Order: sequence, then C-alpha cells, then structure tokens
Amino acid sequence: MPATSSLKVAVICSSNMNRSMEAHAFLSKKGFHVESYGTGDKVKLPGPAPDKPNCYEFGITYDEIYQDLLVKDKTFYTQNGLLHMLDRNKRIKPRPERFQTSNDKFDILVTCEERVYDQVIEALEGRTPTDNSSVHVINIDIQDNHEEATLGAFLICELMTVLSQSDDLDNDIDELLHDFELKCQRPILHCVLFY
Amino acid sequence: MDSRRSTAVQFFMEEDNNKIVEWLNQAALSTDNTKTDYLRRVQEIIINKDASLLDNFLDEVLGFQNDRSGDVRKFIVGFIEEACKKDPDVLPKVVANLSMLLQDSSVQVQKRVIQAASQVYRGALAWLAKARAISEEMEAAWAMMGSIKAQIVNMIDSDNDGIRTHSVKFLECVVLLQTYPEVDSMRRDNDFSLEDVPLTLKIARRRKLEEEANMVFDLLIKFHGSPHVSSVNLMTCMGSLTLIAKMRPQFMGKVIAALETLHTNLPPTLSKSQVSSVRKHLKMQLLNLLKHPSSVDYHNNITTLLTDLGATYQEVLKSYPKIEELRRRQKRVAETLSSSQAAVSASKKSRLDIDDDDEEEEEDEEGMDDIHSTDVHHKKHTDLAIDVTEQFIVERLSPEFAAQLVILSMAKLPDSMPPNFSAMYTPIAAAGTQGQIRHVARLIATQLTAVGLGPGARQAKKLQVIPKAASLDDDDDEMPSSTKSSISTVVSGLMEKEKEGRLKAATLLPSGGSLKAVKQRMKTLKLSEITRPLENEVMLKMMADAVQRILKAERAAALGGVTVIRTKIITTLAATFNRKVREVVLNFLLEDVRTQLDLGFAWLYEEYSFMQGFNRMPAFLKQEQSPEYSYNRLLCTLARNLIERAEMKDRDVLLARLYLEAPLITEEATDLLKNMCGDETRAPVGLHLLQDLVTRRPPKQLTFLNGLLLHTAHENPEVRGRAIKAVVELYDRGDLRSIIEEYAILYLGFLRLRQPPDVLFGMDRGRPIKSDVWSEDIVKVCLYLYLALLPINEKLIHELTRVYVQTVADVKRTILRLLEQPVRGMGMDSPQLLKLVEECPKGAETLVTRVIHILTDKTPPSAELVARVRDLYHTRVSDVRFLIPVLNGLTKKEVIAALPKLIKLNPVVVKEVFNRLLGTHSEGVNHTSPLTPAELLIALHNIDPSKCELKTVIKATSLCFAEKQAYTQEVLAVVMQHLMELNPLPTLLMRTVIQSLSLYPWLIGFVMNILQRLILKQVWKQKKVWEGFIKCCQRTKPQSFQVLLQLPPAQLSDVLATSPDLQQPLLSHVMAFTENQRAHIPQSIMDVLLGNKRPHLEEYDVRMEAMSPSELTIDIRDEPEEIRSEPAPPGMD
Repeated sequence: MPATSSLKVAVICSSNMNRSMEAHAFLSKKGFHVESYGTGDKVKLPGPAPDKPNCYEFGITYDEIYQDLLVKDKTFYTQNGLLHMLDRNKRIKPRPERFQTSNDKFDILVTCEERVYDQVIEALEGRTPTDNSSVHVINIDIQDNHEEATLGAFLICELMTVLSQSDDLDNDIDELLHDFELKCQRPILHCVLFY
Repeated sequence: MDSRRSTAVQFFMEEDNNKIVEWLNQAALSTDNTKTDYLRRVQEIIINKDASLLDNFLDEVLGFQNDRSGDVRKFIVGFIEEACKKDPDVLPKVVANLSMLLQDSSVQVQKRVIQAASQVYRGALAWLAKARAISEEMEAAWAMMGSIKAQIVNMIDSDNDGIRTHSVKFLECVVLLQTYPEVDSMRRDNDFSLEDVPLTLKIARRRKLEEEANMVFDLLIKFHGSPHVSSVNLMTCMGSLTLIAKMRPQFMGKVIAALETLHTNLPPTLSKSQVSSVRKHLKMQLLNLLKHPSSVDYHNNITTLLTDLGATYQEVLKSYPKIEELRRRQKRVAETLSSSQAAVSASKKSRLDIDDDDEEEEEDEEGMDDIHSTDVHHKKHTDLAIDVTEQFIVERLSPEFAAQLVILSMAKLPDSMPPNFSAMYTPIAAAGTQGQIRHVARLIATQLTAVGLGPGARQAKKLQVIPKAASLDDDDDEMPSSTKSSISTVVSGLMEKEKEGRLKAATLLPSGGSLKAVKQRMKTLKLSEITRPLENEVMLKMMADAVQRILKAERAAALGGVTVIRTKIITTLAATFNRKVREVVLNFLLEDVRTQLDLGFAWLYEEYSFMQGFNRMPAFLKQEQSPEYSYNRLLCTLARNLIERAEMKDRDVLLARLYLEAPLITEEATDLLKNMCGDETRAPVGLHLLQDLVTRRPPKQLTFLNGLLLHTAHENPEVRGRAIKAVVELYDRGDLRSIIEEYAILYLGFLRLRQPPDVLFGMDRGRPIKSDVWSEDIVKVCLYLYLALLPINEKLIHELTRVYVQTVADVKRTILRLLEQPVRGMGMDSPQLLKLVEECPKGAETLVTRVIHILTDKTPPSAELVARVRDLYHTRVSDVRFLIPVLNGLTKKEVIAALPKLIKLNPVVVKEVFNRLLGTHSEGVNHTSPLTPAELLIALHNIDPSKCELKTVIKATSLCFAEKQAYTQEVLAVVMQHLMELNPLPTLLMRTVIQSLSLYPWLIGFVMNILQRLILKQVWKQKKVWEGFIKCCQRTKPQSFQVLLQLPPAQLSDVLATSPDLQQPLLSHVMAFTENQRAHIPQSIMDVLLGNKRPHLEEYDVRMEAMSPSELTIDIRDEPEEIRSEPAPPGMD
C-alpha cells in the first residue's frame, strides 16, 4: 500500500543526521517517496564534551565525517553510536542536505522539533512563489537521541501511512492529525504553505 | 551553416513530431500512470523544447482532459498552465478547457485548476497589458477568465477544505495583481501589479480592477474572521493577508486589525494543538509584519499582540526593522508627501471628509497618482474605524466600567474552560497601566469594528464605497450575516446601551441605507435596533400589571391544568424580579393567606433555593437585596400577618403550618414567635407552636427551646404557666433534659447575686421596670422553672441547697416558703431528700429543717428520716430543733432526754413540740407518739432542775394543762397518783395538784385523798411541797379541814402560822363537831387550834428546811392569772 503512495514526503531535522535519517531509512523501507533535510547552519554532531561539538559545513559527505571521527576517537564514537549512525546514513544518501537550499517540492514536510518547523516556514515563505502548489508542514517533537529517533521514525511512518490512505488529504488532514495526536499523545503543529 | 542548421532542425523536428505522435498514441492506449509519463514527455518537448509544436499538438493533448483518470486530467491542467506561461497566445484556446476542468468531478482536479488559475490569470492580465490591440478573441478570453475568477471566488465557501485553501491563495493573487505597490512594498521577481496595466486598456480598467481587488480583500478579511474557519484555511488566509500587507502596505492597517480580531476570537472549533499551531503561525506572521518597514505605525499594536502570544522581548526586538531603514522610509514618505499632489495630504488631513468620496467618483481615470490618494484614503479608513472606536472606549474605560463589563460577561462564560483558552492565556503583566487600558480598548474596538458597531464603524459605514463589480456581489451575502450573528457578546450589549445614550447624535447614524440594502440582503432583524426601552415607570407598571394578571388567572390555570406551571411562574417572578413585582405578589398572598398559603410556600422554597444556591440567579436580574434578606422578609411578612390576625379562621393551624413547613426559620421569624408568646391572649398558640418546633425541627431546637424557656420566667402567670407546662413536657421526653436543667439552674444561680440581673426585666419578660432589690416576686421568678422540675428530677434539690447557702436572708425566706409544695410532692421517702438531710451542707440547716418540717407536717416521720435526723443531730448539728419534726419517731427515752432542751425554746416552738407529742393538731387518726400525755407530764415533772430552770418547766406544764383534750381529769389523776408515789416528791407536785383541781373541781375528793397520803409521807419535810400543800389546803377549805386535822400539832401550827386565816374556820369546824367527835381530836391539836404555844423545837425544824426560791412562791400566787392570760397561738410563724 505505501509502495503505491504518490505522496512526496520530506523529513527534516536540524542536522539531517539522526532523526530525519532514521525516519528517512524507515519510510523508504516502507516504500514511501521520501527525502530528508536539515535546517541548521551547520551539521552538528556531539563531540567529546557538550561544549565541543563537531561541526561541518553542509555539503560534506557522511563518509567524510565518518572518516574524520574515526581518526579523532574511534572507540568513543563507536561507543556513542555516531559511527554506526553515519555508516547507516551513507548507505541511504551521500551527504546531509540543507532544506533551505533545496528546490524540490513535496506534499508533506515533517519536522522533528519546533525550531526546525519555524525555520522551514520561514524558508518557504521567503521563496518566490512558483506554481502555488500546497505543502503540509507537520511538526512532531522528537528528542535528539537514538531511542527517540527510532520511536519518532515509527510515529512518522504511522502518520504517513494514515495520510497516504486519504483520498483527499487537504480535506481530511485536520481530522487525521487530530486522531493521530490523541493516539500518540504528543502535541502536533501543522500548517499549509505554498511553493 | 544556416541551411545545415535548418536541415538539422528540420530533422529533429521530424524526429520530435514522430516521437510525439508515438507517445500520444501510447498514452491513449496505455492505462494508469504510464499515460501521464508519456504525456509528460510530450509536454517536455512541445513546451520546453520547441514551442512551435505546441500549436500543432495542443488539441491532441487537450483531448486527454476527458480521460477517466484524475491524474491525467490533473496533468492536463498542469499542461495548460505551462502552455499559457510559455505562450499566452494559446489562452483563448485553452481558457474554455480550464473553465470546464474547474467543474471537474474530482476535487484534486478542481484544486489543480484553482492552483493553475493564479498563474493563468496573471499571465492573461500581463498578456492583455502587453497587447497592442485587443482583438475580440482576447476580449472573449478575458471574459472567460473573469467567469473562472468568479467561480473560484465562490469556491471559498466550498465544503472541501483543500478547495477553500487554494481559493484563498487565488484570491491573494487577484488582490496582489489588481492593486498598486507602494514604495515600501516587498518586491519579488517578475512582480505584476496594476502599475503594469496600461491606462488605455479598455476591457480591464485600472479603477475597476482595483475596486474588485478591494472587494476580494474584504472577502478575505471576512473569511479570515469567520467563526468556523478551519485551522488550515485560517493559517493560509493569515499567510495570504500577511503577504498582501507586505506587498501592498496600504492594507497593513486592515490586516493588523484582522489579526488582532483573530487573536481574541479564535474559532471555537479548533482543537488544542490546532490552537497552538494557529497561534504560532499568527506569531510568525506578526514577526514578519514587524520586520516590514511600513508597519512602523502599528508597532505598538503588533508588539502588544506578540507579547500576548508569548513572544519574548528578544524575539520582538530581533524583528524590528533597522533604524536607518526606518529613517530612510520616513524621509521617503516625507518626500512623497511634499512632492506629490495635494490630494494625498489633503485626504490625510481631512480623513473623514465625505467629499473625498465624491471627488474619487469624479476623477475616474485621472491616473495613478490619484489612485494613490485613494489607497491612502482606504488604508486610513479601516484604521480609523478601529482608532476612533478605540479612542471612544479609552475615554470611557474606567475601572467601574471594566468591572461592569466583567460582571455582565460572567453570565456568558461557558461552563467549562474551552481547550483553547488555556493554550491562549498569557498572564497580563501590566494590568491597570495606561498602556494596558489602551490595549484592552484596542481589543474591544477590534471586536466592535468587526461587527460594525461603535462610533468608528458608524463613520466608516458612511464612508464606505460600495463596490460595483457585479461579479463579486454574489459572494458577499453569507459573510456579513454569519459574522453579524456571531457577535452576541458583551460588547454588543454594551454598545446597545451606548447607542441609547447617543440617540441625540443622529447625524452619526448610518445614512447610506439604499447602498447598504444592496450589500446586506440577508440583514437579520435586530430587535434592539428597532425598539426603544420603555420609560422606567411605564415598564414597572406594565410589569406589575402583567404579574397581577397571572395572579388573577388562578381559576383559569386550574381549569387548564397548568396550576403547577402558574405557581412556578409566579414564584420565579416573585423571587427574581424587582421589589415592585415582589410587593404585588406579596399583597396578593396576604389578601387571602388561608387559600394562598401553598403559593406562599412555593415562593418561600424558591427564595430558599436562591439562598442556598440551588438556583442560580440570572445575571441580568440584578438583585437589590441578598437572597437571605428576601427569604427572611417573605417569611416574616407571612408570619407577622398570621400572628396579627387573630380573628382569622384556622389562624393557629396556618401559623403552625408556616412554621413547621418553611424550609428554614430565620432568627427574625423566631423572634416574632417569641414576641407573640409574650401576649397573654396569643401565648397558648405561640407556646404550643414553639413546643412543636422544638420536637419537629431539631436543627434549630435550641433556639425554640430557648424561646420557651424565656417565657417560663414571664411575669404573666398564664404565659408562665403554659410555658412551664410545655417545658416540663419536653423535659419528660428526656433528650433536652440537660439543657432545660442548665437553664433552671442558671436562673437559680441568679439568686446568689446581690441584685436581680437585668435579664429578668424587659418588655418581653413582662417586667418593664427594673428592680434593684430581691423582692419576693423577683425571687419567685428565678425559681418557677426550677420548682416545676424539682418533683421530676429530685436530684436538683442539691442545686438549691448550694445556692441557698449563698443567698441573702430575704431570698432565703422566700425560698423556704416556696419550697413547701414541691417538697411535699416529693415525699418523705425521696432518696434525694434523705440524702439532703444526711449531707446537710453547712449554712443550709434552716433549709433542711424546713424540709423536714414540711415532710412531717401532716404525716408521721418515716423511720429512715428519723434515723437520718438522729444521726445528724448526734454527729453534726446539735440543735435540738432538728428533732422536733421527727419527735414522734423517736423513742420515749430520747424524747425525755431531749425534753429539757426542747422546752427551753421559744414558747411558740415549745407549743409546736407539744402539739406533735400530744397529736392534738394532726388530723391523722393513726397518730402515734412515743409519749402518752400522762407520761409527758410526768416527764416534765421529773426534769432535773439542774438541767432546766423550774420556771421553764412550769411554763411547759402550763402548756400541757392548756390542752384539755389531752389532759382530761382522768389523765391528771393518773399523773398525780404517779407523782405522789415518787420519792422525793417532784417540786411541782402540789402546783400540778392545785392546777388540776382548778381545772377539774370534781377532783376535790381525789385531791383530799392525795393530801392525806402526803401527810403520811410527811410532806412537810420538803419545804416547797409543803408550802404548796398549805396553799392547796387553803384553796380547798372547808374540805381540807379534815386533812388539816390529821396533821401533827407542830405542822398544824405551822400551817396556821403561814395562813392565819385558816385558824378561825378550822376552829369553828372543830367546834361544830359533836362532843363525841371532838373527843377524837388530840389535845395537842386542840391546843394549837386554841392558840396555845407550840413547842419551839418543831417550829425550828420547819425553819431548818431549805429555803425555796422566792419566785416559786410568787409564781404560785400569780399562776391562775397567768394561765388564763396565755393565748393559744396555733401555728409557728
């Protein structure tokens, strides 16, 4: 069923590394037409200390980051799961993508935290309108850690499945989101924007 | 080169042609999504690669618009869009298809058409603008485009959310296309605006287009403010409005006003998270607007709104436009103002000038500068409505007014908190400051203007230019009515009031009636607008009359079977309406309480429900008084009425019903009842009712009991008697005993005070004048209840003794006197009385004595009593008076032992003692005495002179003699006989003999006998007795002569010496003897008789006798008189 889904989905988090990629992996496995993006200025990964993150410019590949971290501290980054995550990411796509610089059009944008949601809206509103096609922006708060990301991917997939089954998404989405919200017990933000 | 190229081109074209034909064929043959793939390829080539092919294949591609698949049709729409973009000249060919597809059965296709329509429309307008000449074809296409536009505008009311969303977007596009940008306008690439439309374009007049845009914009604003808009629509609309504001700053004011309205009027249908989404969106839009330089005039409003939405100061600050930019803008504005025509400044200055409108009408096609002025004018126009109203409100928004508003709106609050409230609510940081007041005023003004109320809106209406674009007219009908009907908020109510106040300012009322009629076909009837409030007086009168009619309709109601409803109506009216209505109903009730009492009760219960909060008072019925007051007043009026109308039939029953059935008896009602009891004639009813109330209304039992108790000390004996009776009955029931007792004891305790306490006096006690001394009556007051209770609970007697000890003499006396009845009632066997006797507190001896006296007054004392008294006498109180009441219960020995002490008492007491002993005053036949009268007298004679003075004994014996019933001559004979046998002879023997003789002369013979025997006992040896003997002989002459002659000569001569008067009669007596008889008289006797000297020795002997006390002789001499003069007082006191 999702395999035939014509919905074009993008999952967006801050660094296009953990949450969005987890969902990306999961959704594409389920047969969705999915992309993933980050909205941050830089790709940020946890470093040896909370105040010393690893920062990379967008454009770098997952593999490059992987190699970099491997050199920096193999055991540490193996232990905290970063290397594993990067390994998974590079199998999905070559590099983190920044949402603001993307020109692709989607039916649904799923953001993983409110700040990202804001940035997405800002970015979309800042664009010159082209064909006025609409896009639903939906925010589901997901904490930035492995477990929550996995859980979040499940939630997003569930939501997407529900949405993809609708014949007239624009008309039904309010209700579907409301039901989903009751079910998952997380606050959901939603709005419609135009390309 | 050229030819080669052309050949190549030719070749490729051939190639493309073939490819296209093949793809089209395949597309026609294939099913599902491969079809769109082929078509997409075709599109790629004919639009993007070689536009010349477009014409050739257009019809073929458009042929797919009837395809069964929605996706294909959607694609066709996209194709049309692309085609128009590429070559506007195809527009006349495709516009009809577009129009058809807009009616498509698939929502998706419809949406796609709407989406495409923005582009196509824009393209069309640009196309017309560039065209050198307008052909008929173009004109037709434009008309078709217009109809598409009209359809889409209608679609804003579609049932489908998505269609509405896209319609909004289309409307936004229309507004942007058909208005002028300003200096500050946000610019985008390939912008198109009214500026780009040439003035010469006949089929699309700038002015008409702009009017249409304004209409559409108003439509958007209405849609934005409609109460049931979905969250997606709302956010879309919000975004569109913001965009419009940014790109066409002339709308900034209206947009911000709309957002303000939205903030306070979020659609109630939104769920919690939708509310947060919407608020978030609103916040972002506002921040966006804030960044825009032309929002500078509204920074205040935006900032306040943002703060309300929870934006932080930093966020707001970040979004402020740069200062230089602002400065630059101001400069620009100033330049524009100074350099451009006067119309701008003029219109700015004379904002409200109606002439402006006319000017506008005239300068139809003057040019864009003029239209500029219209823009400015328009912008100011909405601001103005809100601003004017805001100013109007600020001037009036005093704290009192705010409070009134709050109170008024309380009633309209929903029962539960709407979910979006908690999400929306942000605490008010600066409540009460001028800024906040202004903010609130602004909010209210926004609301008012939104519903077309307030001075601002009125002015605005006047200025409103009615758009004439016929195509849009149809869309207007729903919005105004729906918005209008949704206003039923406090604010409108408030405005109605203000309207009244401003009726005089008739010039401000909307005048453009005919113009409005076009616009508001569905104008709802507003009663408040076409009616005027009645004169207060008239209204009150009519109200009262209406109530009267309901009241009079009793029979009709009963016939119609709606009595219950009528009652409910009346009670509700009476309980909730003003005083006038209240009075009317009350008078009706009072006219015939007997039959209307049920109605009265219904009302009473209604009031009670309000009082208890079972019913909620509607907020619009403001009560002058608290419900407690109303309830109390009603109850008391009814009660008072019943109490005063003694003549009424069944009055007592009704009154009892009132008091027993009323839900609550107020204090005042209780007082009424109490007062009623104070009156002798009404007391029986009142007291009986009080008694009933005590038993039947337990919660207030004590109050009523207190009312009863109060009257137990009432001055009026009737009232008091009934009250006491009632209390005693209650006392018998048991559960209130301790309270009643406490009360009685409290009153008893008053006796200890130096003066009677104030509480005993007053009108309600029947003693208006206060007394400072314990008169007998006052003492009684304190005792009535107590004495009534005493026989029921004898234990209470101990309380009395406790108090008694501490009272003053007068009080004591009264107590003693009052005690008789109850104590007699208790009887001798009462264990409590016995206990009292046994314990006999110090100082209470008189009381105890009194008690014993009362007990034994009429009946002989019981053994137990005697035993206790005896104990008391022996162990603690040696006062012999104690014994008196129980004398008859004592043994003979005890009595005799106590006798000396007894006779020493007050003569009256002694008399009582004797009465008891002799049983002379007791009616009981079974009177038993430890002593017979004879024994008593003998005992008296035997009293040891050392223990008691002889004189006392004499008095005692005299008392005995006075009791003739007890001391008959037989008894006295027995006594004398007994006494004579004693040795030595009792001192008083002869006195008794003489007394007896004087009482009973018949005893003379017996006395002679005694005298003779005394001679044998040598009576002369006891001087006193001897003197008495002589005396007796003197008294009893001549019978005693015989005895005298038997005396020895010495003694005879002594007799004669003592009483010489005897000598001669005695001698004569002897001389009268016969010789024979005389011969028996010894010579010695004769010698004495004849006066011969008696031997000295014997005389001496006599003289050697102990001297008797002088008083004895005197006594004997005076005795007879004394006895006779002695009265016989009966009682003791």
